[in-house]
Parts: sequence; C-alpha cells; structure tokens
Amino acid sequence: MMTKASLGKNMPAFQQKKRLRKIEIIWWTCLIICFGIGIYSIISGYFLEGMSSTYLSNIVPWGGWVAFYIYFIGMSAGSFLLSTMIYGFGMEKYEKIGRSALLSAIVCMITAITFIFFDIGRPDHIMNSVIYWNVMSTMSWEIHFYIVYIVLLVTELYFSMRKDLITLAKNNDIKGKIYRFLTFKKQEFTAADAARDKKRLKVMGIIGIPLAIFGVHGGTGSIFAVVKAQPYLNSGLFPLIFILSALVSGTALSIAVYVIKAKVQKQELDVPMVRSLGSMLALFLGIEFIMVWYEFLIGIYGLGHEELGTIKLLTGSKWWWSFWIFQMGLAMFFPLIILFIKKTRKSVNWILAASIMTIIGVVGVRFNMVVPTLIMPKLEGMPVGNYYPNLSEWLTTFGLIAMCLIIYTLGEKVLPIEELDSHESGVNKYE
Amino acid sequence: MALKTKNGLEPIEYAELAEHFVPDAQKVLSESSYDTTLGLNMARDARKVINGNLQIEDFHKIYSASLLKEFGDQYASVDTTTESTQKKDTGPKWGMVIDLKKCVGCDTCTVSCKSENRTPPGMSYNVVLETFKGDYPNISVVNLPRPCMQCDKPPCVQVCPTRATYKLDNGIVIIDNDRCIGCRYCMVACPYGARSYDFGDGYEQEMIGYNDVTSPEYGVERGERKKGKIPEETVRKCSFCYHRLQRGEEPACVETCIGDARYFGDMNDPNSVVSKLAASPRAFRLKEELGTQPRVVYLR
Repeated sequence: MMTKASLGKNMPAFQQKKRLRKIEIIWWTCLIICFGIGIYSIISGYFLEGMSSTYLSNIVPWGGWVAFYIYFIGMSAGSFLLSTMIYGFGMEKYEKIGRSALLSAIVCMITAITFIFFDIGRPDHIMNSVIYWNVMSTMSWEIHFYIVYIVLLVTELYFSMRKDLITLAKNNDIKGKIYRFLTFKKQEFTAADAARDKKRLKVMGIIGIPLAIFGVHGGTGSIFAVVKAQPYLNSGLFPLIFILSALVSGTALSIAVYVIKAKVQKQELDVPMVRSLGSMLALFLGIEFIMVWYEFLIGIYGLGHEELGTIKLLTGSKWWWSFWIFQMGLAMFFPLIILFIKKTRKSVNWILAASIMTIIGVVGVRFNMVVPTLIMPKLEGMPVGNYYPNLSEWLTTFGLIAMCLIIYTLGEKVLPIEELDSHESGVNKYE
Repeated sequence: MALKTKNGLEPIEYAELAEHFVPDAQKVLSESSYDTTLGLNMARDARKVINGNLQIEDFHKIYSASLLKEFGDQYASVDTTTESTQKKDTGPKWGMVIDLKKCVGCDTCTVSCKSENRTPPGMSYNVVLETFKGDYPNISVVNLPRPCMQCDKPPCVQVCPTRATYKLDNGIVIIDNDRCIGCRYCMVACPYGARSYDFGDGYEQEMIGYNDVTSPEYGVERGERKKGKIPEETVRKCSFCYHRLQRGEEPACVETCIGDARYFGDMNDPNSVVSKLAASPRAFRLKEELGTQPRVVYLR
C-alpha cells in the first residue's frame, strides 16, 4: 500500500496541482448541487408545508431526521473521544488525526443539531427549551449539554491549532488576516506557550470525557432509554450501546477521512497508525456486539409482548434488510471479518472498506433504534405503523449531509487542520 | 349525700361524685398490656383539649411518637401538617370510569369528541379499540374506549423539555400549545398512544367552514384555524373537555355515550359515583404495571 500511496510523488508538481484542482471542482459542484436541492426541499417542504411534508404520522412521530440526528451525534462522539485519547491521554501516535477528528466532531455536531432543528414542529418556540428548562427531561438537559459541548470543542480545536495559526499569521494574504484576527495579533509562540497550550488541551480533553460520555452521548442514548412506554428501548444497556456504536462510527469516520484525504492528495500514509486505528475499530465492534447480544438475549427471555413484537419487526418483517444487511452485516460482521483476517487487516484499502461499510451500516443501526419500536402498536387494537422517509425527507437529508461536508471542507481549507510539521520527511509544505 | 342538697351541685361536688362512680384509672390501665402512664397523661391532656387549653394538632404532635412505639402498625397516624390538610380542600380531582360491559362499540364517543374538539384528519383524542378474542364459535369482542388516561404520574410530563405539558390540581394533564416546541417526545413516551401531533391538515375541502373556528381547548379562544397558527405543529390531546368542565358540563364523550357506559366525577369525593365504581372488584386500569396511575378506570 505504501507504494501505491506514494506514487503521487513521482508525478510532476504542476500535473499534481491540476489533478487536485479538477477533483476539487467536481467535489464542490456535487456538494453545492446536493445542498441546493436540500435547501429547496427544506423551503418547499418544511417551511411551506410543515411536518406534513414528511411521512411521519401520529403512530410513528419520529423518523428519518431523528435517526440521522443521533447518527451524527454518534459520529461526533466517536471523533471527539478519539481526539481525547490524543490530547487528554497523550497517545501521540494518533496526533496526525487529532485536529481533523476535532473538526469532524464539531461539524457532525452542527449537522446533528440542524437535523433535529428541522424535526421540531415550531422552530419559533425553540428558545422555550432554554427559558422553561424542565430539569426532569433528558431532552432538555441534552439541549444544554450540546451548547456547552460545542463551545468546548471549538475552544479545544482553537488551542490545538494556535501554534500553527501564529506561524501562518505572518503570511500576507486573506488567510493571514483571518489568523491574525484569531490569534489576537500574538506574534510569537514560545516554549512556555506550547507547554501551557498542551496543558490546556489536556484539561479540556479530560473535562470533555464525562461531558461527552454522560452529557452528550450517553445522554442522547438516555433520551430513548428512559422511555418506559417503549420496552425495546427501555433498558440500562441502551445508552452504553449508543456510546459504543458512536465510538465505532467515529473511529470509522476518522479512518475514512484520513485515508481518503491522503489518497486524493497523494500524500504518504502513516500505515501503522491506520492499522492501529483499524484494530481499535475491531475492538469497539467486538464490545458492541457483546452488548447487543445481551440486550437481545434478555429482551427475548423477558417474553414482553411489545419487546418480542419489536424484535420480530426488526428481524422478520419487510424491514428485515435494515437489521440483517445494515446493522448486522455492514456495521458488525463484514468489518469484523475484514479486521480479523490477517491478510485484510494489514491492508489500508481493506481497512478503508471496513470503515466505509461501518459508516453506512450505522445509519441502519440508528434507524433501528428509532423506527421499529414506534411501528409496534402500544395497545392491542391500535393500528400498526408504517414508515419510510419520503422524497422530501431524503432530499433534505442529503442536503444536510452535503452541508456537513461543505463545512468540513471549508474548515480544512481555511484552518491549519494538518499540522505544519507533521510530515516525517521534515519538508514543510507551507514553505 | 350531696345529691340531697337543695341548692344544686357545685363543680367541686361533681368531681367528688365522679370519683365514686368512675373506677380508678391507674388500676384499670395497669391491667391492660399497654403503658399506664401514657394512658394517664393522654387522658389529662385530652381534658385540656376539651377545655380549649391545648390545640388538637399539638396533642397529636406530642403523642404520635410514643403511640407509634406503643401500638406499632395498629396506630394510624393522622398527618396534621397544615399544608396537606389545605391541599385536600383544593376542589375536585376529576376521574372517569368506563364500563366495558356496557360499551357496545358504537364509536359515538369518538365522533362527539371529534366534533367537540374539532380535531383535524388523522387525529382523534378518543378511540375505541376493538379486539376479537378466541376462535369461532367461542368468540368475544372487547371494545376498549381510550381517552387520555390523565395519569397521576404522567410519563409525558416527565419528558417534556419545556414544561409545556403539566398536571393541574384537578388531575387533568394539559398542554400549553403556546409553549410546545413540537418535538413529539411526549408522543413517544405516552404508553397509551393518547397524544397526537397537529400536522396542519383540515377538513375544509369537504366541510365548508371547518377552518372558521378552532376548538376553545382549555378555555382559550383561538379563532380561525390558519396555516402556522397555534395549535398547528404542536402536540394535542384529550383534556377531559376542560373547556366544558369550566362551564359545568360533562366531557362530550360522557354526555353522548348511548349505553351510559361512561361515568365522570370527582374522585376526591368518596360518595361520588366514580369513586364507588372505581372501588369495585371489576375495576382495572390500563398498563398499571408501568406505575403511571391513570385516572381512567375500566370495569371489566
């Protein structure tokens, strides 16, 4: 793989630049088209028709947007906890992906909040959740935690980049101006500053762990787990499974972002790091499997009518593919097999394939957390629900995913997400 | 004896007289298995209460600990704190009893509820769930009318992020549509599926004038039903027809029930029909195991 990845080095520089430009144009065109269609569907659906533009009903009041909301919350969690390992616990071998993990955590969080914002019927009342805080409500706590969490993430990203920001602020272009503003015209970055920033990052990373686990991610899992009316969700293990699948999707996202970026830019890959991230992904997948196993085992032995019905809906109804192909296949067994076979777990391409499978499969995991339990009637004699996201919901979803990628790409372009002195060759590409 | 005196008796003489008739308290009490001095002291203080020298609340306060010690479980303590006594007098606590033996499944309650509350398509505060039990020829039909249960421990109130839904002192769980953000968490949390979301649809196309007026739920006149106007895009539910209760009428479903299967009244009043029916051995409540304590009682 090393040879393949370093092929680009043999290409002349101008050709390389031309190729990158071409990719960039295609990338931006796709994103902007997707985003534009998404905006159109938000305006024509959400703003003009309200919630009736979705396929939601009184039986299935939560659907695709809620599923994507928890999907992105989970991605943010995983990326953040990965960055915590780097800044909080000093696992420096992953330092290369530290900032990009933080950036993707922020971007995913913003996307998640946008999704849930469009799932709320009365956006004009949204401030009520802050003004009339119900301390009993897990959802109300989450709204507050999200705000604190985003502030923490942004601060952490800022301090992790400060050194490079100060260095780059000397350039005399627009970026330099932005950086000068961001660094408050600070001229030099001394060793004392470096030590202080490192300490700050460590403290923030460590504050962030309980905030992320209990507050944001376990908390988001608890939104579902505390609901006694839904026996399938109402278990102590549910928030933990939520965190675990968050770690799974976050790690997979970090791998995918790192490898794809390096491949597109034809940069050298840190193969040992990718392999080690791959084995971390396998570990998280393994733990998640154990938890899911016990969740289902105990659920089935409980003989609860609704629980059994929900499990039946998951595994044997017309939605079987969501469980067997997405949740169990793409987000569990295929990547586990890839990451266990000696030959494939060493190959960067296979690891990339495993992580992309996971990223796609976790969408199914999130849908399975939201929809089947709502389809199951709450009382005997009530109608059985039905739900598929309709066209308007899909268009909005893809628009918001495009928005996520646009913000990420902009972040990568504007901010020094890649460390200046990260290349082992010692060549600073900014000079 | 003193009885023979002409000018009647002096109070002191009554006491003397009593001492002859009443047996010696100490002697009698010592025969019982309970504490003698406690009995004597209580008798002394009870006289003080009768004379007005001691408040009854203080009397209870003084002796409740020693009584509990002496009589244990047999002693039923009366909570005399002023707060709780005041709370008890705050008026009725509404409750509903539905006799399933009388329900014929005609759906009149559903229809009258719909016209009273002017609920949009796809929304019904009250439904009658019809289930068939057994195989032919041993078959039975159960009609289960399901309004909002107005739970005493409402799961929907627990989860609402804005406190837009809450419980009134009279037992009714209400929704403040002006505060609701439409997140639909309460709908997921309700074990009875009693909450619905107003998607903004209407019957205007098939029924001229449907949009002319919104139901005055909770006594709030909202006028014309218009796109984006409250209660559209918020959550709605049965309120025991709170606006009707305010003017002294029964909920629409109770009034129109053809078989008189529904009873409505004050659960606080032990003599009300609902209280008596709720104490019947036929009484049960839906999903009681969840601990929601519904205020709607069914008679099986």
